[in-house]
Amino acid sequence: MIGGLGRIVDNLLGRGEAAVTVPPLDGALRPNRLLDEGTTRTPLDGVDCLAVQGGTLLAAAGDGIFVHGADGRWIRRSTWPSPIACIASIGADGLAVALASGDIVVEGGRFDGRRYRADGASACITAVAATGSHLFVANGSATNGPGDWQRDLLERNAQGSLWRIDLDGGSVERVADRLAWPAGIAVQGGNVVVSEAWNHRLIAIDPAQPGKRQVLHADLPAYPGRIAPDADGYWLALFAPRSQLVEFVLREPAYRRRMMAEVPQPYWVAPNLRSGRSFYESLQGGGVKHLGMLKPWAPTMSAGLCARLDGAFQPRASLQSRADGSTHGITSVVQHEGMVFAAARGDGVIVSRPAATSGADQGAGR
Amino acid sequence: MAVSDRIVRWRYRLVPDHLLGEILTKRWVDNAIPLLILVAVAAVFGWLIPDFFSSASISSLMRQWGEFTLIALALMIVMVAGGIDLSVGSTFALGNIVALALLNVAGWSVPAVIAATLACGAAVGLVNGVLVGYLRLRAFLTTLVTLIIVRAIVDMLLLKYSVAIAAAFVDSDLWYYFGEGDVLGVPFSVAAALAVALVAHLVLTRTRPGWQVLAVGGSRRSAHNVGIPVRRVICLTYVVSGTLAALAGVLFASRLGGAGADTGVGLEIAALTAAVLGGNSLGGGRGSAAKAIIGSIVVMIMVNGLVRLGITRGGSSLLLGMVLLAAVAIDVRWLKNRMKFLSKVYVSPTFAELPPAPPIEGASPYAVNDRLRPVEAIGLDRIDGPEDVILDEDDHIYVGNRTGDIVRFLAPDYTRQEVYAHVGGRPLGMAFAKDGALLVCIGGMGLYRITRQREIQKLTDETNRSWFSIIDDSRLRLADDLDIAPDGRIFFSEATIRYEMHEWPVDCLESRGNGRIIVFDPNTGKTQTVLKNLVFPNGICMTHDGRSFLFAETWACRVSRYWFDGPKKGTVEPVIPDLPGYPDNINRASDGTYWLALVGMRTPAMDLALKMPGFRRRMARRIAPDEWMYPNINTGCVLRFDESGRVIETLWDLGGESHPMITSMREHRGHLYIGGILNNRVGRLKLDGADEGWTGQKSYWGQDAARGRA
Repeated sequence: MIGGLGRIVDNLLGRGEAAVTVPPLDGALRPNRLLDEGTTRTPLDGVDCLAVQGGTLLAAAGDGIFVHGADGRWIRRSTWPSPIACIASIGADGLAVALASGDIVVEGGRFDGRRYRADGASACITAVAATGSHLFVANGSATNGPGDWQRDLLERNAQGSLWRIDLDGGSVERVADRLAWPAGIAVQGGNVVVSEAWNHRLIAIDPAQPGKRQVLHADLPAYPGRIAPDADGYWLALFAPRSQLVEFVLREPAYRRRMMAEVPQPYWVAPNLRSGRSFYESLQGGGVKHLGMLKPWAPTMSAGLCARLDGAFQPRASLQSRADGSTHGITSVVQHEGMVFAAARGDGVIVSRPAATSGADQGAGR
Repeated sequence: MAVSDRIVRWRYRLVPDHLLGEILTKRWVDNAIPLLILVAVAAVFGWLIPDFFSSASISSLMRQWGEFTLIALALMIVMVAGGIDLSVGSTFALGNIVALALLNVAGWSVPAVIAATLACGAAVGLVNGVLVGYLRLRAFLTTLVTLIIVRAIVDMLLLKYSVAIAAAFVDSDLWYYFGEGDVLGVPFSVAAALAVALVAHLVLTRTRPGWQVLAVGGSRRSAHNVGIPVRRVICLTYVVSGTLAALAGVLFASRLGGAGADTGVGLEIAALTAAVLGGNSLGGGRGSAAKAIIGSIVVMIMVNGLVRLGITRGGSSLLLGMVLLAAVAIDVRWLKNRMKFLSKVYVSPTFAELPPAPPIEGASPYAVNDRLRPVEAIGLDRIDGPEDVILDEDDHIYVGNRTGDIVRFLAPDYTRQEVYAHVGGRPLGMAFAKDGALLVCIGGMGLYRITRQREIQKLTDETNRSWFSIIDDSRLRLADDLDIAPDGRIFFSEATIRYEMHEWPVDCLESRGNGRIIVFDPNTGKTQTVLKNLVFPNGICMTHDGRSFLFAETWACRVSRYWFDGPKKGTVEPVIPDLPGYPDNINRASDGTYWLALVGMRTPAMDLALKMPGFRRRMARRIAPDEWMYPNINTGCVLRFDESGRVIETLWDLGGESHPMITSMREHRGHLYIGGILNNRVGRLKLDGADEGWTGQKSYWGQDAARGRA
């Protein structure tokens, strides 16, 4: 009763839960242009996920898996019957390929050719991570597919789940549910670290005690996605920035409902992998061009952002592309042979730069 | 339209939300709370005491009230200048005893008695004034001390003269007239109080000394900095206060004719309560005679009401103290939060439904293309925000800029530029008059004229005030675009009357008909509003029949036609009711059609928000303006249409690579010149098949006029 009254007052005055504050980009996330400047750019339309298999960097885009050719272009290596949801390495030379249909197929390595499925109903795989014997699978939402992530956010869903598949026996177990769009997984010791996108946080789940969730990093300024480990830390891709306007719209149920019903999806007021291409998208005050120039600090529905995390999952450095940049919608980041590769799905490009100048040396050692 | 939309529309049509904010901007709203308290107090006591407002009861109250109001006014004047005078009660008693002593014991004539008594009060005030004003002692402590000293003097005088006063008899009708006579049926003391209040009101609101008092109270340091003699002003307020208190004492003496030890005791607290309760700020700077009157009526009703209810003196003092405390609290909170509250409620979006936007692909006349790609840039990075562009017969380009200049780019190559005239405000729409003078709408200033000799003349900066408008809408805030009728009358648009120029996004958020079209007649010098409640009226262009003009309403996304002459005089007809974007300036094209600039495009999310005023209101309150949802003004286009509303062609520059932002365009000798209010250039596009000799001046004023001037 008191809580309900409190919520009504909050709603009226814009306090508490109804406040639309977004944390500033500060500290390790201070704005920079490292994704746009000093990088090697190789275009690949629809690129979504990166993984390393047996020393080779692979990129998944649409229904194909691509390898980086000698001339800098991406060459199709294999084609799959349905779009690829994500890929992840298993051991040294295996690759798990999760399809949009919900099937997970292993290519190479000890489990070559095996097929798994987390659950009959799970058709929104967002991330996969393998340990020696198990596969952890994140299912973003029980009701929306991977392409409908904006709808899932606007519906304020928390219907995602985390699954564990025994690679040998094929047994499937649901580790956790009611996650708000789990979009990335990392396995650390016995814990599974999940990036819970709609709650803008990283949480650690102990599969033995799935009820207990430890928050590792809360209130990120962007929606966290896939997490990729390397020698002494992690790379976290943050696929879209949070904005005051979206936070406000999320607190306006009537407008949200009508917008989803009446406005075509590309023009929703929602975070995006790439925004500003069409004049049918709504504009925000700071985004008005002055003297022919879009300001880098302009409020934006899309941006490029990935963070270097230390062993405790705290940000140490970041690579960014700002409102006026051209590397938006980072969905996957991996470190490979001394280079950092970031897949910018919004702009259909993979950018790379030396890890040494990207904050990778400021990892767990610090 | 859905039922829910219809309900929302009626809700916003029936309840004019914006009036609340407009009322709060008024200074008289400070009186609203005291007035409410007055009504409440009157109602409560009228209900508790059956014949409280009977005429007998009233007339006995009235004389007391007159004296009391004089004291409250005295205190008000001191408080408005930022001080406080606690000695008014003692001065009142002093006035009483001095008047009685001079009259009864010394036997002076009545006028001499009054003069001497007032001088006595003024002297007490002068002591206060010198101490507080010149020596800058604390007003509170100083007047507390004078309260005690004057009270002691009164006591000494009482001891000496009270018996003599009581024994003597005054034989003067004039003297008793003050206490018992009527002026036009009103007790003398009431008439005196009202007269003093009227004078105080006029002085405070209409004269230099009054403004100085208010300025000193508002900010002592600022008043000093602008050259107001702060110390003298403060000193004089105490002198006035002392004089008024003594005057009240004279009236009291005449009415009762006796002196007692308790005369005027506790009066300062009652008067203070009255002044503060009326809404005179303790901090100074805000106050008026009306407030003092309201407060004194409330206190008078309360004190007498409590007495008649049989509440003991202690009880009524207690209540008075509580009321004073509450009044002070309200005063402080109101002052502190009024602007905060105002800023929250002033923005009041309304329901605005736009017709479905036409498509921009396929066979649509609005279909996207790249026809603006070949636009050349003139003055790239050397001009900041040319809203409108115009060319003279010698092909020079005139544009306004953000820093308040009319800049001229010189023909033929436009590489040289000069400041043609510095006007100070934000030059917006421009037009050439028949005599070659440049007429300009200047945001924040009004309608101006720049002669061929570069002399800047104001044509008008105000129009007739609307009868029922709460905010003063006579001043022009945002004159936007103009055009000239064949008879020389100048029609111009004022985009909004509720906001200043740089606040246009807020007006968009409201999407109410806040704008108007005004006519200035140079023959009579009169300015008159011709069309009201337009939604951000922007471009204006005379049609070729000389009886009507086309005008664009930006946030309503439509172009309409208004007849100011001929059989259809006074009517408005839609020309293009459903534009896909936000129209800005309109100008003539060489083939008898018209050019229209679309400054931005409608977005589905914004169109939906327009139907949800509550959403927009909360957005304005909760998030920063830089984060607000805006109309998309990053992409625009130029289109050509005819009088029937048929769109003939559209010129786009998708992505704004050659020419970001378009607010105006002007055809001249086969070229189109393009301006943009946030742009860093003037664009120029060769038009295929356009009349190479056509210019705007020839079209408006004929071949001869144009040639004769050039």
